[in-house]
Formats: sequence, structure tokens, C-alpha cells
Amino acid sequence: METKIGIFLCNCGEAIRNIDFAATKEEVAQIPGVTCVNLSSNLCLKEGKEKMISCIKKENIDRVVVAACSPDFKEHFFRQVLESAGLNGHLFSMANIREQCSWAHEGDVTVKAVEVIKMAVNRARLLQPVKKKKFPVNREVLVFGGGFAAINAALQLSRVGLRTTLLEREAILGSETVELGSLCGFDISSMMSEVEGDENIEILTSAEVTAAAGKIGGFTVRIRKGGEEISHKYGAVVLATGYQTKLALEPELKSDINIVSQEKLCRMLEDPNLEIRPRTIGFMFDFSDENSRLSTLATLNNALAAKQKWDSEIYVFCKSVKVDGPGAEKLYREARDCGVVFLKCEARPRITADNGRVKIEAKDVFLGEDTILACDLLVAEELLLPSEGTEALSSLLNIRRDSRGFYQDENVHLYPVASEKKGIFFVGGCRGDLDLSRVLTDVSSVVVSVYELLSSGNILTEVEKVKADPQKCVACLTCIRVCPHDAIQLVRVDGGKEVAEVFDLACDACGVCAAICPAKAIKFRAYRDEEILAQIEAIGES
Amino acid sequence: MGNNDVLVVGSGISGIISALELANAGVNVYLLEKEAVVGGHSASFCCKATNVCSKCSACVVPDKIREAVINPRIRLLTNSTIKKLSGELGNFRVEITQQPRYIDVEKCIACGLCTEVCPADPKAVYPPTVEATPFCYILNEVLCLRFKGEKCDICRENCPTRAIEFELKPKEQELSVGAIIVATGFDVFDARKKGSLGYGRYANVLTGLDLEQIFTREGYLRLPVSGEEPHNIAFIQCVGSRDEDHDYCSQVCCKYAMKLAGLIKYQSPDTKVTIFYIDLQTAGKGFAQFYEEYKESIWFVRGVPVEILQTASGELEVRFENISQGKVCRDTFDLVVLSVGISPGKNSWGLARILGINLADDGFFDTKDSLSSNETNVDGIFLAGTCQGPKDIPDSVAHGIAAASKTIQALGGVASQRRGNQRGH
Repeated sequence: METKIGIFLCNCGEAIRNIDFAATKEEVAQIPGVTCVNLSSNLCLKEGKEKMISCIKKENIDRVVVAACSPDFKEHFFRQVLESAGLNGHLFSMANIREQCSWAHEGDVTVKAVEVIKMAVNRARLLQPVKKKKFPVNREVLVFGGGFAAINAALQLSRVGLRTTLLEREAILGSETVELGSLCGFDISSMMSEVEGDENIEILTSAEVTAAAGKIGGFTVRIRKGGEEISHKYGAVVLATGYQTKLALEPELKSDINIVSQEKLCRMLEDPNLEIRPRTIGFMFDFSDENSRLSTLATLNNALAAKQKWDSEIYVFCKSVKVDGPGAEKLYREARDCGVVFLKCEARPRITADNGRVKIEAKDVFLGEDTILACDLLVAEELLLPSEGTEALSSLLNIRRDSRGFYQDENVHLYPVASEKKGIFFVGGCRGDLDLSRVLTDVSSVVVSVYELLSSGNILTEVEKVKADPQKCVACLTCIRVCPHDAIQLVRVDGGKEVAEVFDLACDACGVCAAICPAKAIKFRAYRDEEILAQIEAIGES
Repeated sequence: MGNNDVLVVGSGISGIISALELANAGVNVYLLEKEAVVGGHSASFCCKATNVCSKCSACVVPDKIREAVINPRIRLLTNSTIKKLSGELGNFRVEITQQPRYIDVEKCIACGLCTEVCPADPKAVYPPTVEATPFCYILNEVLCLRFKGEKCDICRENCPTRAIEFELKPKEQELSVGAIIVATGFDVFDARKKGSLGYGRYANVLTGLDLEQIFTREGYLRLPVSGEEPHNIAFIQCVGSRDEDHDYCSQVCCKYAMKLAGLIKYQSPDTKVTIFYIDLQTAGKGFAQFYEEYKESIWFVRGVPVEILQTASGELEVRFENISQGKVCRDTFDLVVLSVGISPGKNSWGLARILGINLADDGFFDTKDSLSSNETNVDGIFLAGTCQGPKDIPDSVAHGIAAASKTIQALGGVASQRRGNQRGH
């Protein structure tokens, strides 16, 4: 069927003076397939919009070309005009005759303007509509983990009316969070009883996932609990699996009565039966791992507590104090005011066992001298690692991890809690070293995203943004390998042949598959190769 | 009757993100901005990519601004401030004052005719910056002949869409909203307050923000007066952070200074770059690797100088303690960049009084408790972004989304309570 193209010229309030609009109008009207050409002086204002809509309806136009300013400036506006005229917004092509013709050149540019319009018309002829469709989604959410982040995520998800399953590997929830709570001054037990009393939250402890399949809106997960396996469908998955710490020590040393972790020190500080109070304590952080925000906070809190409780002499060895978190600088100042000594060293101090004490040899940059300290207790440097099972879970769900093994966010600038696989999110310690207020920010971010996805029970999305031609596809799997969103799978079509199929909900229309497909079977709907070639041909014609 | 619309105060990156997130969840939003253009500070930052992206996040801002402006659920109110607030969660009434901008945003088609015909010198009506949104011409009251008492009417007569209107008065209106998100951002520390560093006195002492704007405008760095390429540059960290008056770390300066230094080294590898610092804040994804990459080519010096003097030849003499040699040294540079920090907004106090929310000791808005960084002491008023404390762009984005989440949860609570009451009757 012949397309009916309508061209709308705009002289921008008569501000474009170096284009002869009458001549342009006459010339572009000759292009085959063009039904009507309109000249306006204010296409982007209300009157212009109304004129455009009535013209599209009257002339039965099915492709629209606007020759005006930069698409960067007004394309979205004109697409909306098309939609309000009952046309698909993708049946639109724009010719920039203001910034790229009129403003870019001195003197008359009518010839160039005509050419730019011809290009847009050639493209318009090939445009295809991109339709929208509603996909039903499951309204339940699966949260992995049972710590601070997981519990808060479940509570907030329940608050926005989404049924949530908390899946914890251990026998009880919050086993590690209790200590964290006493350290940071919040009450985990009230949170836990709130979770347990919430009828919107199902708690599965001593449970693990054995298989996972599916995509956003419908992840099918097999859960093993107490020898039994069940299969359940969830609309979205939230990972809150946390982190673990490991002491960074010389191979000949190991954690013992003199060399302890921050956690052990916490317990010693709370122990009323502790026999000997350490008189000299050394702390170390920020040498082996620059991601030491949490170590810094733990050191500052524990050093202050030890000073108050035991009145010990405290020396802190570090490269830099990481104070880029809320309240950290205040704590640092408080610690120094109490007499905690900070020694900053470029190189990692040498630690040796010394007759029941620990000897620290360091070169402090401010004194410029070698410092030797014998201390009763060394709180060793801690490395922050992803918790056990992170690797297995990430391969089960097919999501990426960063160089340190934590979950890798899809967009570092915009949204650190989303994986590249739509519908899978992560919060808190499993994505890096975050203080508690940042963890809570994570949780709230995820909750609103999950709410947007699942609350209505279906998602409206454009379909066939990217489509593989079953005739051309040779099932080479290249697209499946490169797709960052895991949106492509092989399906069997009539005749038994296997071909690639794009799952619209998971697809982000990035176009990587279309670019790489060796058989040129995959087409990127919004800008196909033919459209670009047609535009180039238009230049060749004149 | 309650109301589920939300007012977002401030249209920097956090406010924009909050508004977008709410709109995507089906909530109608009023986005209030006291300036003529949206975007706040974040819209003026430059891309710091070398041959690879340095992940400074400056590029996300224009896209998000555009998304917000075209979103049908977001109503933008520029040149507007809050005058009065009453009511409570689910039912706030806010009185707004909108200053006239003389050029109608709805009508301006940015054709440029007004600038062409304006007889004032310099021109009193001109285009906004390239990235400005809304892209509406600006009429400057100070330069305009008409505001000086003359009878000039040329631009108004020549405007093809009749967008220019001189006889405008401030407009008052009342909004009914269910909740409010405060996202008023920060003020850049005024480096003049550190007199001994010479900012404002010596032309070649710049701030990090100046450098951002130079790169945005020009794409490369030249000395402000001579126009020559600088060969020896010093960055001084913690200017307006971590001192007696600022008991916090601004969290962004180490990152932007190192990324700007990296950009300078990439453009002109022979330029010597020195960074004076107290502690390097290299935590955060991928940043440690960034530091590793540059620590050979950039000279990192522990300790921040307290005094800069200009020599007769125009060079800048920086006095600092060279710790490795254990003595006070003098070194000369042709450009010194002060890494200015994030200070609380000067208007925060006034807004806090109008809204009834608390300010913390450091001057940022206070939160309900130490863990929930979005909630204020008033139910239904939430915080997003740097008005609550220093944050970089990704943290501000995350905080903006979280504020939207808390707002939806609070309004959802109100709605279900209301439903419950109705059932009860």
C-alpha cells in the first residue's frame, strides 16, 4: 500500500530567513508519496499543534515529516502530537532545517534544506509502527538474606502491598545483625518481631535455591527446605546477601588472643568478666583494601569505646581515614580529642609476635621516623568480601559480579541497586561497603522500583523493539552471548528449526544484538539499516 | 478529603529523580524551582572522560532533566518559592510565589529575534545556556532599557509569538499536596572566606567549580588572564570541609579533583599536577583502581597549604610542609585549584522555618533519627539529596529515589487508613 506522507514546514516565527519556503514547499511537494505540504510559523505552539492534528486526520496521513528545529529540542513534542492524532509516534521523521541549515550557514540554504527534507521523507516511507502491549506479572517478591537489609526490604515491600518471601540460609533471621545492632544502636529484635507478625511476609529459614529460570514478572524458583523442594513464581528478586570480613594478616600470624577482629573486640568490650584489660591497643586499616569505609567506622567507634571503658592507650595505623560517610568526620575528631593517636603510613606496617605482645613497626609520614609499638592487643585490618555463596547465586541467576566479587550494578551513575537483568535488584553489603544509612537508602530505592514494576499486576511495554527474522536466523547464539540483559532465548519454530527470540519485557532496546548479528537477522525497529541507506540514497539523487 | 499529589522543592538532580520516580509510579508532581532553569548545580558539571569514561556521572543529568520536563505528570514551576505551609501529611496546603520571567515559557520558540533587535549593550535579552531547560530566552531586568525607565518596546513588538510581556507581577497560588520532598541542594563553599588562599585576589587561583565550568564551556584548560596553557597545577583539597566550621567531609572533592587532574594529564601529559590532601577518600566502586592508575603521574602530597602568595612574575607561591623532607617548602605553580566543598544552602534556615523542619548542627536539614536519612521531624515532609548532607551524583540519585519511595509508602498508609475509616462508618 502506498504511504501518505505529510510534510510540515516551520519557519520558526519567520526567524529562518535564508530559506525560500515557497520554493521549498513547491519542490518537496513533487516527491512521490507526499500527500500534502503545510507551512507554519509556530508548529510547536498550541495553534500549530491543532493545525497539525486536523491536517493529519483530514488527509489521512500515515507518515509525518516535520522540517523545523533540532529533534533534540522538539522531537518528543511532535511524537506526542502524532499520538494525539491517533498515529503511532514512531511514524515520524524530522528534518533539521534550523540549527543544521539556517544557523549553520551564511546566505541562502534552500538547496540544502530541500535535500535534508528529501532524506527525512525517504526514511519516513520505511517507518513502521512500534506497538505497545500489556504483560501480566506476578505480584510476589523473593528476598534473599535475613539480615538488616533483607528485613527492612521485606517490611517496606509489605508496606506498599507486595507479598514477600524472605529466604534465609541460616536457621534464624538476623543472626549477624544482632551484633551490628548493638554496635550501631538500633533494635533489631523489634524489627524481627514486626517481620514475623506481618501476614504479607513469608519467612523461609534453613532454605536455599536450587534452580532459577524465567525473566522479569515471572521468575520460577525452586526452593529446598528440610528435604523438600517446591517451585514458586515471583515477579521480582531482591538480593540482600550481605558481606563477610577476613583478617588481612601475614601468613605466619593468625588470629589469637592478641590479634583480634573488630567483632571480637566488640564482644570483649561487652564482656563483664574480662580479666585483663588491654593497656595498649593498635588498630590497622586501609592498607590492603582501599574500600575501608566500614573498617574506618568500626575502628572509630571501637577506639572510642575502648578509651571510655578501659582507658587504654590507642594507636591507629592507616593510610587514609575514610571519612566520606555521614558522621564519620565528627567521630574522627572526637577520637582525636579523647587522645586516640592516628599514625598515617604509606606502607603497610610490619607485624610480629613479641613475647605475648604484638610488635608493630611502621614508618609514620608525619614524624618521618620508624615507629615501633608493642601493644597488648592488635585489632587487625579486615578485608571486605562478598558473603559465601555469592558466586553460586550469581551464576544461578545469571548476573554479573565486579572485580572484587560483589554484585555489579547495571548503571554506576544512575541506579546502583539494579542488576543488568531486569527485575533482579541488590541492596546493602552484597554490592560493596556501605554504611547503614546508605543501606537503608538502597532498600527504599529498590522498594519503589519493585512497586512500579509489579503493583498494577501488569507492565505496559513496546513490543518487537528488536526482532529476529526466523528465516534468516542460523541459531549461532552470538546475540544470546552479547545480550547484556539476558533477554534473548532460542525457541523452536514450525519445522523444528531453533531461532533466537527477544523477550520484550526484558529487552532494553540497546541494539547490541542487531549490530552484531552475522546473518543480519536481527532488526532494530526504531532505526533499521534500510532507513539509514534510504537517507543516503536521497543525497545521491540530487 | 486528602490529596495524593506531591510537591518537590528544588530541581537539582535529586529533586528531578524524586519527581520522575513518583511520576513513574503514577503520582502527580509539582516541581518547584527558584531559578529560571532547572538542573541546579549538577547541570553545570563537565564530563571528565579521558579515552575512557571516568564515571563522574555528569552526563546523566541532562537526560534526566529532559525526561522530567516532558513527563506529563510533572508540572514545572520555575522562578517560584514557598511562602507558607499549613496542613499535615495527606493534606498540605502550600502558598507559592512565582516571580515573573517576562518571557512566556509556553510561547517562546527560541527563534532569537528578540536578541537580534535588542538595542541595549550588552544585550538585555539572550538565550540561556545550551543545556538550559526549559530552553526559554532570558530577559535581564538590570540590563533592559525599559526597566531603566526608557520607552523601549522593540523586542516585544518583534516577537513572532507575543511571548514577551513587561507588565507582569509576581503570581501567587495555592497548591494542595499530600506530601513534600525537600531537595534544595547545597551551596558551594565560598573560597573567599579562606582569605590566605587568595581566591578572588589572584586571577590564577580558581575553584574546582570554576574548572568544571571552564571545561564545560571550552573543553580545555587555559590560564584565565594570559590565555596560555598551564604547565604546573596544584589542587588543594578540603577547602571548606573538615575544618573548624565544617565538621564533615564533603565526599565529592577527592573524586572530582582526581578526575579533573586525570583529564588535564590526558589532554597535556607534560603538565605537572600536584594534589595536596589530608586523607584520600578513595572508597567506592572502582575508585581505588583510578587512584592506582594516577598515583605515578600525579604528585600526591600529604598536608594542605594554608597560604598562597603571588610573586612579582605572577606565579603563585605555595608554602607547605614537605613531610618526606621534614621541612617547610615553597613551590611555585602557574595555577592553583581549590577543591571547594559542599556547604549547607543559605536559604535552608528560612525554608526550615516555613516548613517547621529541623536543621542539624552542621546546617543541613536534620533527619528523624540517625538511620533514616529521608525522614524529617514532620510527617509527610521528606529530604532528598545534598540538602540533608554531602553526596556525590550517584548517592544523590539513590537518595532521590529513596525519598520517592518513602513518600509513596507514607501516602499509601494514609490511603489505606482512609479506606479503613470508610469501612468503619
